[in-house]
Amino acid sequence: MNDDYLWDKTGEPDPQIQELEEILGALRYEPKPLQLPNELPRQRRNYFPWLAIAAGVLLAILAGGIWLSTRSRDDAPQRQAEVTPLQPVKEVTSSVPKTPERKNESPEEAVAVVHKHRPRPSAPVLSKREREEALMAKEQVMLALRLTTEKLSLVHKKTQNTNPANQIKNQHRVG
Amino acid sequence: MKTSFKTSLISLLLIITSAFVAKAQDTRIQLGSLDHLASKASQTVDVNVDERLMKLAARLFSDKDEDERQVKKLIEGLKGIYVKSFEFETDGQYAAADLEPIRTQLRGAGWTRMVNVISKKEGNVEVYLQFAGEMINGLAVLATDDKELTVVNIVGPVDLDKLAQLEGQMGIPDLGIESTKSKKKTNEQ
Repeated sequence: MNDDYLWDKTGEPDPQIQELEEILGALRYEPKPLQLPNELPRQRRNYFPWLAIAAGVLLAILAGGIWLSTRSRDDAPQRQAEVTPLQPVKEVTSSVPKTPERKNESPEEAVAVVHKHRPRPSAPVLSKREREEALMAKEQVMLALRLTTEKLSLVHKKTQNTNPANQIKNQHRVG
Repeated sequence: MKTSFKTSLISLLLIITSAFVAKAQDTRIQLGSLDHLASKASQTVDVNVDERLMKLAARLFSDKDEDERQVKKLIEGLKGIYVKSFEFETDGQYAAADLEPIRTQLRGAGWTRMVNVISKKEGNVEVYLQFAGEMINGLAVLATDDKELTVVNIVGPVDLDKLAQLEGQMGIPDLGIESTKSKKKTNEQ
């Protein structure tokens, strides 16, 4: 059999191959210019993951807000403290007129007085408003501690009275 | 898509869970349900000292004075003290239902009722403690009488030893509590 027809279409053609050529000829490459459609089909974007994340974040913020609001419902109103610059403290030395008692003071004592009025750099000084606030808080703390210990004292007294040891003693006395 | 949805859902659940866990660990009791009793009361005590005010107040307690130093030591670690106390002219000015929101809070979140004193003459006192391991992380006292209602809530690590050391000082009544430290000392002797 001559296979030249298969390679370069020379020689005697095989009818079967010709038939196959006709069938497959419909699928032959035909050079055509690229034709783009006027309107490209829009690709539908999937917003679902973003929506889910946004909803999650919103819910988290909402939960946090509710939690914070319930937590700080009974809180005292926060006030902005006024910070005033430190006033230089006048040293009590020669400018202060000496009283009769002070005349008897030794120089060491006078130095001690001067040191007493120097501001400590380690402890920041409270502003007037902060000090007022702190004083009120101190009073409240003391009041709360008094009330607490008063109630605990009552509990202690009562639990001591119902001490099993005392009950046994009473039983002996009665018996 | 499914993966991102799952991730966001899990992160949301984690956030919500952590918020609820943080809330559960908070030993602060909401006392707002008692506010309406103030109009009926002849005397009201309302103490609201949060952590910031506590730190501010602690700075006013002197280190030189022994009594004040002890109070300072006691309150230094605290996160808040909240008290509501009402005194009434007549009996029956408040109902058990008024206390129910507070009792509900004390039933959960790790609170344990340590003492419950029932006295017809001096009223009832309940002491609740919340523990964080072996440490006391919160104290609540609920005192009820015919003409009086007091709720105390101390938030933070309460040192009962230090509280006992305040006995009879600065107007604080004598508790008669022997601190564990002094107990140890006496045992050693």
